Amino acid sequence: MAEKMDLQSTEVWDGNYAAAQALRQAQVDVVAAYPITPSTPIVENYGNFVANGYVDGEFVMVESEHAAMSGCVGAAAAGGRVATATSSQGFALMVEVLYQASGMRLPIVLTVVNRALASPLNVRGDHGDMYLGRDSGWIQLDAFNAQEAYDLTLMAFKIGEDINVRLPVMVHQDGFITSHTAQNIHPLSDDEAYAFVGDYKPVDEMLDFSRPVTYGAQTEEDWHFEHKAKQHRALMDSYVVIDRVFEEFEKKTGRKYKRLETYMMEDAEVAIVALGTTVETAILAAKQLREEEGIKAGIVAPRTFRPFPFNEIREALAGLKCVAAMDRSCPMGAMGALYNEVNGALASIPADQRPLMTNFIYGLGGRDFSVKEAKRIFREQKGHADVGYITTPIQQFSGLRGPKLGFYEVKRS
Amino acid sequence: MAITSVKNLKEFSTANERFEGAHLLCPGCAHSMIVRELMNATDDNLVIATNTGCLEVSTAVYPYTSWDTSWIHIGFENAATAASGAEAMYKARKRKGTLKDPDAPVKFVAFGGDGSTYDIGFQWLSGAVERGHDFTYICLDNENYANTGGQRSSATPVGAHTSTAQAGRVSYGKKQKKKDMVAIMAAHGAPYVAQLAPNKWKSMAKGFQKALETEGPCFINTVSACTTEWKFDPKDTIHITDLATDSLMFPIYEIINGRELNILYRPKNVIPVEEYLAAQGRYKHLFKPENRHVIEQIQKDVDEFWEYLQRREEAKV
Amino acid sequence: MKGVLATDKRGVRELGAEDLVGWDEVTQGVVLNSFDLEVENPALVPPEERPYSDFNSYTATVASWRVIKPVYNRDICIDCQNCWVWCPDTSIISRDKQMLGIDYDHCKGCGVCVEVCPTNPKSLLMFAEAEDPDAALSQWPEKKKKEKK
Repeated sequence: MAEKMDLQSTEVWDGNYAAAQALRQAQVDVVAAYPITPSTPIVENYGNFVANGYVDGEFVMVESEHAAMSGCVGAAAAGGRVATATSSQGFALMVEVLYQASGMRLPIVLTVVNRALASPLNVRGDHGDMYLGRDSGWIQLDAFNAQEAYDLTLMAFKIGEDINVRLPVMVHQDGFITSHTAQNIHPLSDDEAYAFVGDYKPVDEMLDFSRPVTYGAQTEEDWHFEHKAKQHRALMDSYVVIDRVFEEFEKKTGRKYKRLETYMMEDAEVAIVALGTTVETAILAAKQLREEEGIKAGIVAPRTFRPFPFNEIREALAGLKCVAAMDRSCPMGAMGALYNEVNGALASIPADQRPLMTNFIYGLGGRDFSVKEAKRIFREQKGHADVGYITTPIQQFSGLRGPKLGFYEVKRS
Repeated sequence: MAITSVKNLKEFSTANERFEGAHLLCPGCAHSMIVRELMNATDDNLVIATNTGCLEVSTAVYPYTSWDTSWIHIGFENAATAASGAEAMYKARKRKGTLKDPDAPVKFVAFGGDGSTYDIGFQWLSGAVERGHDFTYICLDNENYANTGGQRSSATPVGAHTSTAQAGRVSYGKKQKKKDMVAIMAAHGAPYVAQLAPNKWKSMAKGFQKALETEGPCFINTVSACTTEWKFDPKDTIHITDLATDSLMFPIYEIINGRELNILYRPKNVIPVEEYLAAQGRYKHLFKPENRHVIEQIQKDVDEFWEYLQRREEAKV
Repeated sequence: MKGVLATDKRGVRELGAEDLVGWDEVTQGVVLNSFDLEVENPALVPPEERPYSDFNSYTATVASWRVIKPVYNRDICIDCQNCWVWCPDTSIISRDKQMLGIDYDHCKGCGVCVEVCPTNPKSLLMFAEAEDPDAALSQWPEKKKKEKK
């Protein structure tokens, strides 16, 4: 039996350590992993738990991230709890198998410490890897700080393994800003945490020999579409279980989570839609602007990037005057993904309630996003709101050196 | 482990088949002969992972499976890793007491073609063997990417025509030598490595049993004559395989703990490789006068390799 | 054409003739179960006693692939099991060390069994698919004398 760890009610952990602790407390059966900056400490910390008797499960250090996810799929099909961690290029190498994990409906938990994708090579945080996973059929939970990385990792097991979901889950945190910044964390005790997550419930397990199962069959044009549709339906419907798990977690800890987090939106006229640590930066900016300049600024932040909180976005943003969608990934030849998805949600509300929408590409490769810049963006949205049209290019690059870069001007008739 | 007796074929034939018909492999395909020999050699429960390839696309096409045992296919390259993940899960669950039947004997097996073994899945196989998982990897070596129409692989021998190393007016087919996968796997220090052929059913069944019994990662390269891409009549699969083993194009041997080499089959009458080559369409062009030198070179290489195997066997190192 | 030890489930469907059910009825995770009921260890249960599911290819037939078929002559067979061990389609039915016959639901007519048959004359020969088995047996060749070398 694994030893239990005595934890204080307040610990000082960074996001990586928080994620590693959540994996340990969930009593994962198999962790198959390959280290990559900035998620390496998750694997190292877990290795430390293994070496000191805190883990009963298997810890398989494979030779690549592709193998890490492949090992996870094999292990998950064998009917137990499985998790791993990665970032950036490692995430990219995993992509082939991410689709297979979700297609086989295997509830693997992947802690992703977000980092930019090369070229040029960069180890710092942006959301290029998170965006790369958005069509892969995984639930994607987004943590804005280390406490949330811990909480959401525990909840990820409970959500993904739910008999009505059976889907793999990513828990995202921002590289370095979250992963390497020590913060006060309020963990559950080992017993409380495991009781919350619960025992793994095997479904179609390869180790039940009385009921042989075949995983990974081929489907062509007469079957493929139906299987993909069924999988999409499961992901779309997973919100029911996500909401329930969020509620249960709140009952246990007092910490409240929603699929769409909103801050100061009750009377907001302008808003920023963002993911990751930018959310907290924007909250600070909005508070200051409200106090100092009377700008009614608010923040909207998808907690679940997948399933995308389509309805909640519509409700939260209807009636606002101007909204800036913040994309920390270079869309390369299009508007940002967050911009497009938020706009897609807003397209179905009446025109007179639809806010103006702008798009900012920012923070690539770990470029700092400051409170000052967030305030400037809020002010700019207020400016658009006041005149009733977008006075700048619709897509702009924020925090970029050199001449201003922007695309698509609004022509006034 | 529960072993099916392979003392003679009559005994062997009492095994209850766990590989079903109406799979989609070509008539006369050696893949299924090899798979059947493996599955019939043991009564243990099997967890089988299979790389993308002929075997995979022919035995699990929705809504059908030909497997009466746990089976998984993920991708082209990662059956060894899928098997190691499942094996790790087995160990974890056994330790934690969460297995449904903790006493049921189980063996982990991975199948791959030469494309996935020698080429695209090489790293995954190497990693899984280095980590020491208790599993057996079986390469169904038909010396080309048969599933996609017969492209060259690094297992394709010199002189063979493939769709991406073609014989033509200025080319005699593949120029590069076949990769010595058996030596590479032995160099990993795997406890049991062998090269076997389905025509020699007894050494094959025994080799499989040895691999399944041996704790740790085992690797077996099997010659799988490919009626479609080697271009011979489907009825002749075993005949062609006989020519392969008797010409020593495909010697049958094992390497234990990366050191001890044992030759498992010595042909009474070694036939010239020319006979083996002449029986297959993929070598037809070698019999043109301008390509005869290639046949001579192949014979020379085969002779040298056989000499090397014998010397290693004698040396016991 | 049902052969020996056929169960009511063997080869009941042409490949591709299965019900094309909707997205709500396909299996979760594309998983296929080999059997409908639990089987403690299929290696210890002969095929005719197994609860095959409709997902098992045992329930499908590839008989239509054949243009020629092997015919089995019990009178000559020595039960050596060469045909059994090398059949690529699990179509030689042997029980208790005896060759019983050919599973024509799964045989693709490759002819390997005939080639590896050691008897003289052979106990298995290829005939046109349409040939009547009794007619085939009545045309069986005589024992061949060994050719002098």
